[in-house]
Amino acid sequence: MRHSEIRMIAAREIGVRVRAKSFPILTGLLMVLIIATGVISRVVDNDDTEPTAIGVAGSVPADFTAATEQIAGQFDLDVTVTDVRADAARRALEDGDVDVVVLGDDQRVLYDGDIDEEVQAVVQQAWASAGIREALVDAGLSSSEADEVASPAPLAAETLDEDDEVDGLALLTGTLAAILLFVSLQMFGSYVLVGVVEEKSTAVVELLLVRVRADQLLAGKVIGIGAVALLQFLLAILAGLVALAISGTDVPGDVWSALPMTAVWFLGGYALYSTVFALAGSLVSRQEDAQAAAAPILTVLIGSYILVYIFGYAPETGASRVLSVIPPIAPFLMPMRMAAGAASVVEVVVALVLLVATVFALWKLAARIYEQVLLRRGDRIAWREALTLLRHG
Amino acid sequence: MLLVEGLTKHYGSLLALDDVDLGVERGQIVGFLGPNGAGKTTTMRAIMGLVAVDAGEVTWEGRPVDRDVRRRFGYMPAERGMYQQMKVREQLVYYARLGGRDPAAAGRSADDWLERLSLTDRAGDTVQSLSSGNQQRVQLALALVNEPEVMVLDEPFSGLDPVAVDVLTAIIQDQVAAGVALLLSSHQLDLVADVCSAVVIVDHGRVVLRGDVADLRAASPTRYLEVEFATPTPWRPDRVEVTSDGDRRYRATVVDADARELIADAHAHGEVLAYSFAPPDLSEVFLGAVGRDAVEEPEEPGEPGEPGGPDAVAEVAS
Repeated sequence: MRHSEIRMIAAREIGVRVRAKSFPILTGLLMVLIIATGVISRVVDNDDTEPTAIGVAGSVPADFTAATEQIAGQFDLDVTVTDVRADAARRALEDGDVDVVVLGDDQRVLYDGDIDEEVQAVVQQAWASAGIREALVDAGLSSSEADEVASPAPLAAETLDEDDEVDGLALLTGTLAAILLFVSLQMFGSYVLVGVVEEKSTAVVELLLVRVRADQLLAGKVIGIGAVALLQFLLAILAGLVALAISGTDVPGDVWSALPMTAVWFLGGYALYSTVFALAGSLVSRQEDAQAAAAPILTVLIGSYILVYIFGYAPETGASRVLSVIPPIAPFLMPMRMAAGAASVVEVVVALVLLVATVFALWKLAARIYEQVLLRRGDRIAWREALTLLRHG
Repeated sequence: MLLVEGLTKHYGSLLALDDVDLGVERGQIVGFLGPNGAGKTTTMRAIMGLVAVDAGEVTWEGRPVDRDVRRRFGYMPAERGMYQQMKVREQLVYYARLGGRDPAAAGRSADDWLERLSLTDRAGDTVQSLSSGNQQRVQLALALVNEPEVMVLDEPFSGLDPVAVDVLTAIIQDQVAAGVALLLSSHQLDLVADVCSAVVIVDHGRVVLRGDVADLRAASPTRYLEVEFATPTPWRPDRVEVTSDGDRRYRATVVDADARELIADAHAHGEVLAYSFAPPDLSEVFLGAVGRDAVEEPEEPGEPGEPGGPDAVAEVAS
């Protein structure tokens, strides 16, 4: 019986929120914005990924083309090598048909104005290596011996302090998740706040409390609005995946594995903040007072969000580790540290346990305060006074 | 029978209810009267389980009233309130469902009451789009949609136009004829006298008078003798307080005395065209019981901060 009442209350909330004009508009706007970032990123990337065209004129060492392609590969550069006529070389460069022209007979190389330094290095190195190889073959070495001398296997590169280097995409995903959570909590938190005040400021709450208990009312409202919030969140994630697919970005494994957990953090953060928003609503009798009652919550919410920009970008530091397990902050900071692969399993478990315990304790507290203040009309009840009610209740 | 026994409630140092007893039989309408802040709303909220009392008990048919029993109660709070953006029928179905009805029964009941309150063609409209008269009807329907056995109506006539008063009165009488026990509070004493067979009068949280309306009037030692002479006649009987309206109509207040002498005295003074002899009406009984000079003006619902309204509880509590 108890649960069917919560379900009915939640169902009403879902119906009201989803049918409100603002929901499809805001959700649609959010999705369009996210997908647009994918499209933009693709357009921008496309300009970059056009291969560098290298034109070759006159006589060059025998393996120059092969050496250029091989060395460019080592630098992760995309190049095409084509033959051009020496007398047409300068024009081809000016027309943009090629970006670089190697004039073998003159032992010169011509560059387009804004050419990459890496490309210059590749061309020079390929020229040297092909020249050396040719000289070695002329001196009697076999082709494979000449290869070994002219193009030795490159040094295996290793970056020290790799942990400190945070993957850009992980940061981006973590930041986006934090923004999404922040926007969602503000929007749906205020739905909870305004919804509770609506019921309390009219006699609706009297008619409800005759039929259901205060904690059922609280649960139904928070769960119902939460379901809508989760729906919007999942649609935004879906839009994010579409954006990634469009942009053609490679997504690191840590980001993928952090995704389902991001939803968990989202729910945890929502449960925490919306319960307190509901409490704030229960303390006032007029919509005009609602924002004042919610001000302390907004302060914590905004503060926790801002911390992401400080400690989310330094996920391995001690401060970041400590802050990311604190319940009001964890839903913002921990997903980011997880996406960066910086959070240990222990930290995640501790943060989750703390968050769940806090939400549970808040629920117990909220249900008791709720019951005592919902029928009390008049001036705003101070938070401090609400807490003293617990002792007398 | 709805039985309220020994309800006591403190708000801090203020005694809001002091050992309040009252009973409502099936098929009976009891009027619950008292000046602003006397404890009417608190008592009704206690019956509906909205106020935790310090002592006392509410039973229905001998069973303590809990949430299950209260599913058979219909309630109209003093302050009207509905989800403004919710559609009328949807709202009725929602409350009926929360009250434990299955969807089909809730739908039937909602349709039935919409029909009886002539709201069928507004079923799909939001509450805020209705006129205030129609909103009052929806509020009444909310009290009825659970097909209650007990109805607790806090100031049901307040803010109603005369047509709506008639509609409400007819429905109340139908319900009571069908066996509903009905408790209503009101400031409009003439309406209470018309509708209620019995009244309970509270003041400062205590029951000061209770009983059948006719019995209470008869029990008063005061009688009024009104005399109208055919021609202008000066009349000034001894030892009796007399007020006059011009020089032909007089009203004498008789307390614990025989009126026949007075009538004879009037006849001796001139030609009596008409006279009447009556006990005090309900409002006079009420004023006598609460020891006030005048009944305060009925309040409009929904004004926050008014003494005696639903806010009175909050004020004393804070």
